[in-house]
Amino acid sequence: MTATENPESPAPEAEPGVPFTLNGSELTAKAGELLIDAAQRHGVHIPHFCYHPRMTPVGMCRMCLVEVDTGRGPALQPSCMLSVTPNMKVNTESEPTTRAQDGVLELLLINHPLDCPVCDKGGECPLQDNAYAFGPGESRFVEEKRHYEKPIPISDLVLLDRERCILCDRCTRFASEVAGDPLIHFIDRGAQTQVNTFPEHEFSSYFSGNTVQICPVGALTAQPYRFAARPWDLAEVESTSMVDSTGARVAVQSSQDRLVRIQGVDSDATNWGWLSDKERFAYEATDSTERLTQPLMRNDAGELVSTRWNGAIKRAVAALTDAADPRRIGVLGGARLTLESQYAWAKLLKGLGAVDNIDAQLGDGLPADIVLGLPRATIAEACEPGGVVVLLGADPKEELPTLYLRLRHAVQFDGVALIEMSPRATSFGDSVAARLNPLPGAVGHLAAALAEGMVGTSIGGIAPAQLSTAHRLLGSGRPVTVIVGRGNLAESPEIVVSALAALRRANPDVRFLSALRRGNVHGALEMGLTPGFLPGGQGLDVELPGWEMAPQSRGLDATGILKSAVNGTLDTLVLLGADPLEDFADGTLAAAAFERLGTVISVDTFMTASTSAADVILPAAMFGEADGTFMNLEGRLSPVRAKVTAPGQGRPDWMIATDMAAAAGGDLGFTTLHDVRAEIAARVPGFADIDWASDLGAEDGPLVRPLRTWTVSLSETAPIPPADDYGLRLVVDRKLWDNGTMVTESGSLRPLIGDAVLGLSPADFSRLGLSSGDDVDVTIAGGETHTVAAVSDNRLPVGAAHIPFALNSVRAQSFLSAGEPVIELRVRPS
Amino acid sequence: MGYFEGFAVTLKKWGEGVTTKEYRGGRTDRKGHISDKDQKSPKPERLHGRHVLNRYEDGMEKCIGCELCAGVCPARCIYVRGKDNPADEPKSPGERYGFVYEINYLRCIHCDLCVEACPTEAITETKLFEFSFTNRSDAIYTKDELLVGDDGRPQNLPWEDWREGDDRDTSGWMRATSPSGRASYLGTPSWSGELGYGVRSGDLAQTAKDASSTERSSHDDDDDEHGGHH
Ligand code: SF4
Ligand code: SF4
Ligand code: SF4
Ligand code: FES
Repeated sequence: MTATENPESPAPEAEPGVPFTLNGSELTAKAGELLIDAAQRHGVHIPHFCYHPRMTPVGMCRMCLVEVDTGRGPALQPSCMLSVTPNMKVNTESEPTTRAQDGVLELLLINHPLDCPVCDKGGECPLQDNAYAFGPGESRFVEEKRHYEKPIPISDLVLLDRERCILCDRCTRFASEVAGDPLIHFIDRGAQTQVNTFPEHEFSSYFSGNTVQICPVGALTAQPYRFAARPWDLAEVESTSMVDSTGARVAVQSSQDRLVRIQGVDSDATNWGWLSDKERFAYEATDSTERLTQPLMRNDAGELVSTRWNGAIKRAVAALTDAADPRRIGVLGGARLTLESQYAWAKLLKGLGAVDNIDAQLGDGLPADIVLGLPRATIAEACEPGGVVVLLGADPKEELPTLYLRLRHAVQFDGVALIEMSPRATSFGDSVAARLNPLPGAVGHLAAALAEGMVGTSIGGIAPAQLSTAHRLLGSGRPVTVIVGRGNLAESPEIVVSALAALRRANPDVRFLSALRRGNVHGALEMGLTPGFLPGGQGLDVELPGWEMAPQSRGLDATGILKSAVNGTLDTLVLLGADPLEDFADGTLAAAAFERLGTVISVDTFMTASTSAADVILPAAMFGEADGTFMNLEGRLSPVRAKVTAPGQGRPDWMIATDMAAAAGGDLGFTTLHDVRAEIAARVPGFADIDWASDLGAEDGPLVRPLRTWTVSLSETAPIPPADDYGLRLVVDRKLWDNGTMVTESGSLRPLIGDAVLGLSPADFSRLGLSSGDDVDVTIAGGETHTVAAVSDNRLPVGAAHIPFALNSVRAQSFLSAGEPVIELRVRPS
Repeated sequence: MGYFEGFAVTLKKWGEGVTTKEYRGGRTDRKGHISDKDQKSPKPERLHGRHVLNRYEDGMEKCIGCELCAGVCPARCIYVRGKDNPADEPKSPGERYGFVYEINYLRCIHCDLCVEACPTEAITETKLFEFSFTNRSDAIYTKDELLVGDDGRPQNLPWEDWREGDDRDTSGWMRATSPSGRASYLGTPSWSGELGYGVRSGDLAQTAKDASSTERSSHDDDDDEHGGHH
C-alpha cells in the first residue's frame, strides 16, 4: 500500500514507473509489471485461476478478463497476460467485466461435479470463492455432466479427479517449468481434454505435493490428507521445516491435536512457496506408534522398563558424573534440536561438564571451522541472475530439494551458469554449463588445475572443452558461489577442503553456501555442538560467563568418538537424536563401538536401533510439538512453532537439559524459552541484535552473519590415493527416500524407499559383460565381499561405482570405512 | 471455620424430603399433579429433539462425513471424521463416508442448524425430547446410536422414552429452509428416498397459507392439530 493508491495525490514525477488508470484512480505500475499484479499491489483483487505469481502466465482460464482501453476503445483482455502500458485505462468493475466473469464461471461450472461436500478442497477452494463472489448464482445447464472415473492415483501420493479439473495448466506447468519433471500433461481434445500421466509412467516427482497445493480446485488431492479434516476444523501456525537444512517456511496444520497437513508458505528468501514431498508429508511420523512416550531405563536384568522422569534423569546424571574424566564422554547428534535446545545442551555439556567430544555431524559433514568460517552466500545471492554456481557436493535434488528448485529456476530462467563438480552427474542434466565429474579423490586436483588454467588436456577423462568453459566462467568476473557439501561419503572431507582452497585461489571473491543437509545442523555448529568451539564460533579460550567449566582442549569428532569407544578410552555416550548404528557412515565402526560402550544415554523421539541399545532413554518433543528457532544453511533464523502436544511425557530438549543440570547440582540459568533466547543474545556474537519476537515473525527471517575471530586456513594438500588400475572407486550418496526415521515412520512415504543397486559407468558395465540387474560380487579393499545387483549408470565417470546410502536390500554402510581417503572396489560378475 | 456453615446447610436440608418426582411421561394435570395416564405432553410438529442419521432406501447411509454439520454447530458438539468408503462394502454412495459421528447432548441446544447444513438430509431431528442420562458417555451419542435401524426407525436406547408412533416423522419435513438455501423460497422442497419410508412427497410449503391447505400424503398423522411452524 502506498500513497499512490489515493487518486488525489498522483505519483510524484520522480518515481519511475508506468502511469495507468485503474477504476478511475491514477496509479503507477512498475515497468513490465503484469496488470493483475499491479492491481493487486494497489489493493484491487482480480479473480483468477491459472495465474500463479511464481510461474509463467498462460492465459488458460479467462477468469481474469477486465476491460482495458489502450486508446483503441475498451476491450476485454486477460490481465495476467498483459503488461501495464502508459496511460492504459482499466476497469475491473464495469458491466462487460462482470458479464465476462459470470460467463466464465457459468462455463467452468457446466462440467464441474459440485461434489464440494466430499471434496478435500471444499471450504478453501478458489472455484467456490470465485463462484460466490463473481459468479452468476444460477446455471442454465440442465444436461448430463461429463463423467470420469472418480479419483485415479497418478502417483503414490497424489490422486486426480478429472471431473473437477478446470484445465488451468497450473499442475502441468509446475511439473515441467518448476520441478523439471514433465510427467503430467493435457491429453485429448475439446470437452474430453484432461490432465493425465503418460502411459506406464506415474507422476513420481519429489515435488508432486505442490500441485495439490496450487490446484485451484479439488482435482488434485493428497493421499496422506485425504478426508483427514476439513478446512474449518484446522488450526494452523507458521513454522519452518526441519526436514532438511534449507529451512522452507511452512504452515503446520492440526485437527484434534494431530498434525494433518503441511503447506508451503511463500518466502522470498528460501522456498518461494514450494516444498519437497518429504517436507510436506513427513509430519506423519509425529503420529507414529514408534514414538517414545515415557522415560525408559535398563534394569538389572538388562530389560528396558518405563520409569519416572526423576529416576531417569538421576541415572543419566550419575552416568555422566561417574565418568570422572570428561574425555571419557562422547556426544553425538543435535541437528534435530532447535537452536535454544542446542544452546542448552551445549551449555550443559561444555559449560558445566567440560565435555568437548561433541559432534552434531555423523561423519557425513565437513569440519566446523570451514563451515562456520567461510564467507557465506545467501540462496538469493547464489541465484543472482548472471552468476556462476559451482556445485561441489551431491545432487541437491536428492539432499536439499527445495534449494534445488531455486537453483533450477536460476539456471533455467536467470542465466546462472552451473559448473558441476559433483562425483556423479546431477539432476540438472544438460542445463549445466560445464560438467566435470571427477573420480573420487580427484576433485582437489581438478580444482587446482582450474585455478592454474591447466585446461588444455583432458584430466581424468574430463574433456578439455568442459575444463576451459569452467576455467573461463570462474575468471569471468561474474559473481561465483560454491555450493559445498559432502557429495560422496566414501571420500574424505579433506579432499573436499582441498578443492575449496583451490577454488578460492582461482577466484578470491568466491562465496560459499553450505549444503550440509541435516535439519538444524548449522544451528548446532553455531551453538557449539562441535569439537573445539563455544557458541558463535568462539574458541575454547574465550571466557563466557556461566560457562566456567568449559573444556580446555579440543575434543574428538564423531569418528574419533566411536574409535575411542572401540579402543576403550571413552565409555559413556550421549545421543541427541542421533542413530549412529544406522546413520553413521561407517556401520562397522559404529557397531564395534556399541559393543564396548559402558553407558548410552539417548534423548530421542523414536525407538531407533541405537536408542534401543541405550541404558537411559529420555523422550523428547519433536517438530510441531515444541517452540524454538531454526537456522538454515544461509545462517537465517526462522521460527519453529508447537502446534500439537507431545505424546505421553515427551518434553522439549532444552527442558531436559535444565533438569539434568539441576539434578547435577548446577543451574543453566534459564527456566523459559525467553530466558534461553536472552542468554543466546548475550553470549553469542551475531545474536545481540536479533529481536526474537518481531524478526522471526517476518517473512524472511534475519540473517546471522557473525564476525569470526579466526581466519580459515584451507589446506590444498590432501592425501591423494594412487590409482588402482583394476579397481573402481566408490561413490556413496543419499536419496530423498531413504531409511531415515522421518521417512520410515511416515506411512505414506515408507513404500517409496527403493532397493539399493550398484551403478557402474556404461563403459565399465559392458567391459564386465553384464546385463541390467545381474548380480555382481563386490570386494572392498578390506577384503569383505558382498553380492549386489548392478545396473548401468550413465551419470558416473568411467572407473567409479555408485551405491546409495540407507536404502533397502544393501547396507552401503558396510562398504564404508571412516578415515579412508577413498574406497576401492573390485567388481566381478557373480 | 467457615466450612461448618456449609455443613449446617446440609443438616438443615436433611429432613426436608425428596423433591424430585419420578418421571412418568411428563403430562401433568391442571393442579400440577402427575396424572395416572402416563402420557407424554403433546409437542409441536417441528419440535427439535434427539437426532437420527438416516439411510437411503437401499440401506446405504446418507451421511458422507463432510463435517458441514460440525462446522456450523454453534455449540461445537458434533464430532465427525470422514474416511474413504471401503470399495468392497461401501457404507454410503460415493467416495466418502462418516466413520466417526458423535453428538454431545450435554452441549446440543437443538437449534437444527446441523440439519440445515447437511447436503444429503442425513442428519435430522426426531421429536423425542424425553431422554436423560446419568453419565457423560451416555450423553455423547455415537454413530451406532444415532443411525436408524434396518427398518429405518430410530434405535430405542434404555434412557429414552419412546412411545407408540414416536418413531415416525423423524426426518425430511422438519427442515425449515429449502434445499437451495434461499430463505425466501416458496416452492415445495423434495426429499431423497429413505429407508422405511420410501420417497416422501414434498414438504409443506413455506407460507402459512399454504401450510393449512397442503396435505402430506405418505401417512396419516394424528397429531396434526398440534402441528405448526416456528
Ligand atoms: S488438475 Fe487442478 S491444477 Fe491441474 S489443470 Fe486441473 S484444475 Fe488446474
Ligand atoms: S441442533 Fe444445533 S447445537 Fe445441536 S448438534 Fe445440531 S447444530 Fe449443534
Ligand atoms: S450429517 Fe450431513 S452434514 Fe453432517 S457429516 Fe454427515 S453428510 Fe455431512
Ligand atoms: S488468470 Fe488470466 S487467464 Fe487465467
